[in-house]
Amino acid sequence: MKKHRFVCIDCPLSCEVALTEEDGKILEIKNNRCKKGEEYAIAEFTNPVRILTTTVRVEGGILPVVPVRSKGHIPKKLIRECMRELAKVEANAPIKCGDMIYENVLNTGIYIVSSRDLQEDEA
Amino acid sequence: MIDVDVAVIGGGPAGLAAALSAYRNGAKNVWLLERNPELGGILPQCIHDGFGNFIFKEMLTGPEYAQRYIDEVKKTGITVKLNTMVLEMGPERLIAVNPKDGLLDIKAKAIILAMGCRERTRPQILIPGYRPAGIYTAGVAQRYINMEGVMPGKKVVILGSGDVGLIMARRFTLEGAKVEGVYEIMSNPGGLTRNIVQCLNDYDIPLHLSHTIVNIKGKKRVEEVTVAQVDSQMTPIKSTKRDISCDTLLLSVGLIPENELSKMADVAMDPITGGPVVDEAMETSVSGIFACGNVAHVHDLVDDVSKAGETAGKGAAEHISDKIKKRKVPVIVKGGRNIRYVVPQIIRNEDFDKRITFYLRVNDVEEDVKLVLLSGEKLLYKRKENVVKPPEMVRLTLLSKFLENVGNELTIEAQK
Amino acid sequence: MEDAKLKRKIEKLLNKEFSGIEVSIDDGIAHLSGELNSWNEVVELGHKVGKLEVEEVVNLVTAKEVKAERREKPGLKLPKKIYDPTLPKSADVVIIGGGVTGCFIARELSRYNLDIALLEKECDIGEGGTKSNSAQIHTGIGEHSGTLKKELCAKSWPLYEKISEELDVPYKKDGLLVVLTKDTLPKVPSFIANFVSRTIIAHVIKSKAKKVGDEPRIVKKEELMEMEPNLTDRALVAVLMPNYGIICPHRLTEALAENAVQNGASIFLDTEVIGISPNGEMKKVITTRGEIEAKFIVNAAGVYADKIAEMAGAKEFTIHPRKGSTLLFDKGVGDYVNHQISEMKLPQDPHTKGGAVLKTVDENINWGPTAIETADREDTSVTAEEIQSILKKYGSIIPNFSTNSLIAYFSGVRAPTYKEDFYIKPSKKVRGLINVAGIQSPGLTAAPLIAKMVADILKNGGLEMVEKESFNPIRKKSTVFEDLTLEEKEKLVGENPLYGNVVCRCEHVTEGEILDAIRSPIPALNVDAIKRRTRAGMGRCQGGFCGPRVAEILAREFDIPLEKVTKDGGGSELFVGKTKVSLMEGK
Repeated sequence: MKKHRFVCIDCPLSCEVALTEEDGKILEIKNNRCKKGEEYAIAEFTNPVRILTTTVRVEGGILPVVPVRSKGHIPKKLIRECMRELAKVEANAPIKCGDMIYENVLNTGIYIVSSRDLQEDEA
Repeated sequence: MIDVDVAVIGGGPAGLAAALSAYRNGAKNVWLLERNPELGGILPQCIHDGFGNFIFKEMLTGPEYAQRYIDEVKKTGITVKLNTMVLEMGPERLIAVNPKDGLLDIKAKAIILAMGCRERTRPQILIPGYRPAGIYTAGVAQRYINMEGVMPGKKVVILGSGDVGLIMARRFTLEGAKVEGVYEIMSNPGGLTRNIVQCLNDYDIPLHLSHTIVNIKGKKRVEEVTVAQVDSQMTPIKSTKRDISCDTLLLSVGLIPENELSKMADVAMDPITGGPVVDEAMETSVSGIFACGNVAHVHDLVDDVSKAGETAGKGAAEHISDKIKKRKVPVIVKGGRNIRYVVPQIIRNEDFDKRITFYLRVNDVEEDVKLVLLSGEKLLYKRKENVVKPPEMVRLTLLSKFLENVGNELTIEAQK
Repeated sequence: MEDAKLKRKIEKLLNKEFSGIEVSIDDGIAHLSGELNSWNEVVELGHKVGKLEVEEVVNLVTAKEVKAERREKPGLKLPKKIYDPTLPKSADVVIIGGGVTGCFIARELSRYNLDIALLEKECDIGEGGTKSNSAQIHTGIGEHSGTLKKELCAKSWPLYEKISEELDVPYKKDGLLVVLTKDTLPKVPSFIANFVSRTIIAHVIKSKAKKVGDEPRIVKKEELMEMEPNLTDRALVAVLMPNYGIICPHRLTEALAENAVQNGASIFLDTEVIGISPNGEMKKVITTRGEIEAKFIVNAAGVYADKIAEMAGAKEFTIHPRKGSTLLFDKGVGDYVNHQISEMKLPQDPHTKGGAVLKTVDENINWGPTAIETADREDTSVTAEEIQSILKKYGSIIPNFSTNSLIAYFSGVRAPTYKEDFYIKPSKKVRGLINVAGIQSPGLTAAPLIAKMVADILKNGGLEMVEKESFNPIRKKSTVFEDLTLEEKEKLVGENPLYGNVVCRCEHVTEGEILDAIRSPIPALNVDAIKRRTRAGMGRCQGGFCGPRVAEILAREFDIPLEKVTKDGGGSELFVGKTKVSLMEGK
């Protein structure tokens, strides 16, 4: 039997939800003051996901890097590998906000898109 | 001399919203002056998400949020001046300069201050020791990583658990640096819980509350910092000193509204917010000068900044067209029990808007409180809050008609 | 006093107070060796021996508590791309040290038909004691009688009006108020103390000030409080020294160096002297940038003056570093005081004039400096104790001063010898080596005459010095955007748009000015040098806004990647590399 602690981020109460499980089966959830806390703890335990925001190198733009974001949630455990994968990428200016920079990162089905317009460097 | 209707100083979220609002409320000749080569203010470097949850009902990144407003501004006849620094300001006049136009001597019927804020620096918090390279305020490091594409350091210690510091703890880690820990002098974290979880817990970065930095070593580049626990008076406890070898010290120790121009125009300042005293139209003590966004008081959410900008823009437009009717008796808004500050600090207009929103911060964390708005003994508004925390700004919105005959003073307080 | 007698006198002192220490006398110079427990004891020993009739003190005594200084191996601090001058094979005079003293000497010598090479080990001039100098122009009143410090200072201060005009550097004669308060005589009952202060001490100070050529005036309490409304109520009376002035140490040093170069001298930055072979008439100076021969070497190397002399084979004095820290406040509070203000406390500390509340030429307020003996010649740390002691000391002179406007604090190391006076002499041991050592306060004030003294020593030493007809003492400063009128600003930006790009928001410094500094005859090669020349980064936000922009300009101008930009030379790089690199390398 193992006890996990998840601090719920849904509202400022920040309930410290305690989830007890054995061999992956959830036995008990407590300390949450509403249903959201329960849902959050379950999500964090079974399949924690995150939005990834980072930068990607750019060729020929007014800035050397462009901010990008994942269009959807990525499994938390894949985040670091995603960063390594995206480090290899070089995008070309001009870029429009929402342009796809990387398709289906690490087979998650998630796109990485640009967060902004980035003009070409005139120089 | 150039004649404009409204001059907005600062093209960040406050200024963008203000310029759009002024234009849409009837001001024809609106100039937006921005010192950077592009619009967006601080948003282009805030590449994380969490912006726009209220206004757009989406979790956007900083650049995405800015892009929405920038795209809107492009559709209007607003004159945007980039690379433009305002050097001097007085009532209805300002002097600015940029490489293309040279000196701009501008006469404006209304001026909207949206210059944002600057970061508190190392000397301001009196950290002893040397002054090597490798000491950065979090915002500067953020710019370097997210816009210049360079890493300020490899082994980082962070002082301050405000949101910028937490965000940067994650950013440094994701880019391959080691963040040894986040040290916070208060006994409570300064940033949103969401960030504690997703920036520190996710990456096993320890948060040490009631700690501060008491020495910096390194003559050329940071080599080591010394941390220590502090007592209830925030005095370092010598026996708890611990040396940490690192090459970067990141400071996230507070934001200060940038009001040098405001002071030039003799605008009355609120010593608690650090910004101008404003009324419900965001107008300052100087007729025709408005202030919105972080220049008035430091916000947590950009959505609130945009709302304030929108208000100021409307105020400026109505000021020009003489639509604003002033009350006979202005109402001073005071913060009572456990209230650090309230904005606006004064209600001066009759019927400016259907609703009025008060923005406030509490002094101490409290659970199960009732936020009340009182006019003497009369209760005008109340709302229960499960918990109130200093880092989380509170909004109280009520219909303006409830403030019709309130006399000359209002108090907002947190009651148990 | 002959050597043997002197030795006996010193040994008597050692037996009484410092066991385990040996002394030998060489031509009037006392050489001390051995080990004591603490650094403070080592300094006390040096001082006590220095007070006796010795010529100077070479104090090689070590302290148990002091670990050996970890000094980096000397080498070039800047990549060739940024700075790559060629050292000439020889010069008539090599000046070692580019502080205010070395630069005054360079300028003075550039009046003559001489090949002059000034060698500075840091990446910019004025990076030693000069950098953190309070830059008061003292009148000499605070110096002990009979010292060279007093003599030169008293004759030097009147020269600054002309010097500042010639060099186009800001200079203010705001005057010093020496304030006597209820705490001036702490051990004396107050009614006696107050009376003595008002009647006797004030007059003593006044007559001392007259002796150094000032025009002092006693200011009674009522008038004093009108002159300085924010002064402490503990004040009883003050003596106003109207000829006390203030200058900017960075701009002064920069102007001197530029004027020297303008008149034919050569200045080499990032050039550290690592050896001197004084064989015969021509001395070989070995540096990190190659060798240069010279008949005459002027040693103006500040805290390292004794090390330089030692390299040449002359152990004739020892420098014991004494650090001084200062707090700097924002410009907006400049109205808080109208004069320089210091509080007299008796008995006076023998080694420091006590510091003051000052308004700089840029209208910032300075509190300080401290005076702390340190074993480390490069100890420029500001300790918590120093910060607290400064806040306490000056906060009691100007109470109700909001220390919220603090924007910076810094520290510099003074370079005194154990006799605590200027040591400006030709070396007895090495012909052609002129030591200009022990230049602590009032070094900056006395520097014009120190330079003239050095010129005389060189003349007497056999250097042929023919005055140049083409010598031009006038140096014009480069553009300062903030100082221009609106019309001038408009015209300037019209001619050169780079002056319309304001990079430093707090001080209104433009890209044009930053480029001027980078391209100046004494080039600014890193962020700190640009800061000192242009003031970019000296404001409220301390480089928060302009930092990235200044770094970008440096990278662009020198065509180097951003990662190679330094704060002040190699080892102080701002960044560790580009993003993504460590991720790609699979960290």
